[in-house]
Amino acid sequence: MTRYLLKRLPSALLVLALASFVVFSILRLIPGDPASSLAGPDASAETVAAIRARLGLDEPLFTQYAHWVGDLVRGDLGPSYAIGGDTASLIGDGLAATAQLTLGALVLVVLIGGALGIAGATARRGWVRGAVRAVTTGALAVPPYVTGVLLVLVFAVALGVLPPGGHASFLDAPDLAVQYLLLPALCLALPSAAVLGRYLKDGIEHALAEDYVRTAKAAGVAPRRLLWRHAVPNALPPVVTLLGMQTGHLLGGAVLVEAIFAWPGLGRLAEQGLTRRDYPVVQDLLLLLVAVFVVVQLLTDLVYAWLDPRIRWE
Amino acid sequence: MTLTTPTPHQNKGRTRKSRRSPYLTALTTARGRTGLLLVLLVALAGVLAPVLSGHAPTDQSGDTLLPPLSAGHPLGTDDLGRDLLSRVLYGIRADLGIIAVAVPLGAAAGCACALLAAVHPVVDTVVQRAFDLVLAFPGLILALAVTAVLGPGRTPVIVVIAVAEIPVFGRQLRAGILVQRGREYVAAARVGGTGRARLLTRHILPNATDPLIVQLAVSLTVAVFIEGAMSFLGVGVRPPTPTLGGVLSQSMPYLSQHPNYAAGPLLAVTALVLGLSLLAEALNREVRR
Repeated sequence: MTRYLLKRLPSALLVLALASFVVFSILRLIPGDPASSLAGPDASAETVAAIRARLGLDEPLFTQYAHWVGDLVRGDLGPSYAIGGDTASLIGDGLAATAQLTLGALVLVVLIGGALGIAGATARRGWVRGAVRAVTTGALAVPPYVTGVLLVLVFAVALGVLPPGGHASFLDAPDLAVQYLLLPALCLALPSAAVLGRYLKDGIEHALAEDYVRTAKAAGVAPRRLLWRHAVPNALPPVVTLLGMQTGHLLGGAVLVEAIFAWPGLGRLAEQGLTRRDYPVVQDLLLLLVAVFVVVQLLTDLVYAWLDPRIRWE
Repeated sequence: MTLTTPTPHQNKGRTRKSRRSPYLTALTTARGRTGLLLVLLVALAGVLAPVLSGHAPTDQSGDTLLPPLSAGHPLGTDDLGRDLLSRVLYGIRADLGIIAVAVPLGAAAGCACALLAAVHPVVDTVVQRAFDLVLAFPGLILALAVTAVLGPGRTPVIVVIAVAEIPVFGRQLRAGILVQRGREYVAAARVGGTGRARLLTRHILPNATDPLIVQLAVSLTVAVFIEGAMSFLGVGVRPPTPTLGGVLSQSMPYLSQHPNYAAGPLLAVTALVLGLSLLAEALNREVRR
């Protein structure tokens, strides 16, 4: 395992280093100068120059890059240019909201995906299986913004039971916070739940067709126990790996869901930072998202290797 | 269902059928037919947009937020008094225009990368790392990064879709080439003196394309996703030009008072995306066989 980790780690680090370079260059390619947009339209050339010097924008690009990476490594993200406040605390707040949304979605993925998988594999009635198939196909095919609009139409407009968008703190008003969380989390969770359900259904069907299940059945093991103690545990390993991969997708998808439901997370912060040319916020944020994604992928690969020794020795 | 003994005639028919291209067979399955029908229907509506609607999509009449089935406006009007039917139809047109350019562009670039990578191991490593880099940006983060430089608009949407598809197609084709390379016919051709380039383009490539066709259908769906998502994030095609995602995102503030506003774009996006993914699934099943 350690050997495999050592083999995979350099390429993950390389991707991160390249990504940091790309993020840095992208922001330098943006038309417009943050110093002059900060100074305002009427500012004199001296004021703009002073701001440039204060932000370190008059230094050569390579020095700027080195400064940025050095500060990052020391954990010093510095102040934001335009949004106001500390970059670290801005990103921290956004991350907390996005993590809330992603975790909520993850719980729903497990619940809904599990229900879909087990119902799809064990239901005797044809219409139940048909319904499961329709739900999984639909949830996978339809984009999140369509599900989002539909969810708002049904639960907020027609039934009026949940708010159409917004956010409340879990510390101040937990019941309200759950209400605000439900629709966006559901919208984010549905596609991943469908994927999970499909894999679980295939896994359980596969396990139920095995010889040991037939033997257990002949020995008089109750169907319920057969399912929960034999079939489901054997169907789980690939599903767990899949869950890891889907966590990465959830983080990426959260950006869109946040825009639909006015959720104050990292996606909103990225939007703000981009429109107001706040270099520090945007570059730290983009790199953070890429880093999380790379780490999740690395972890997924490790779990894969742990489950399947052949990969380790390839 | 009645049981019949297979006659030689039937057998002959079956072999002829199985020899037919799997793509055509896929289109005759229930999934394939439904998918094709949906896609054709939506595409036709988009192509015939000028014929089907009497209004320009950006024409503002005085009546805002008319309900559906109003005189002259079958789907009603939007918040600026523009005819919703023509906005949806022209939106389909815009979406089709975008995905028809962006996906083949990304596919071609990805395949070119994979072919280059097949030539030399060093190139392979470089290309692989470049793919990793693009894949490290989750789709919409890539969209934000690209539009940060290019600004919102039609071209950035195309660029984002194409760039996101490059590693997808590149990896797919690379894997295919690696599998085919190990086959005996390739060794035989090499022993027979076939040159490297010819081996790659005339022997290996034709045998590695099946997954790419499936991927093409999947990627078209993803492209519709990305277009809409970018509109929702405010970095998509600029208003007033209608796109499916754009019209839908504009309807969001009016959902509680005028839910009908969202009906048209909702239906069109769903039909298009569902059709494409049914097609992809039908192709996948047939090709994997």
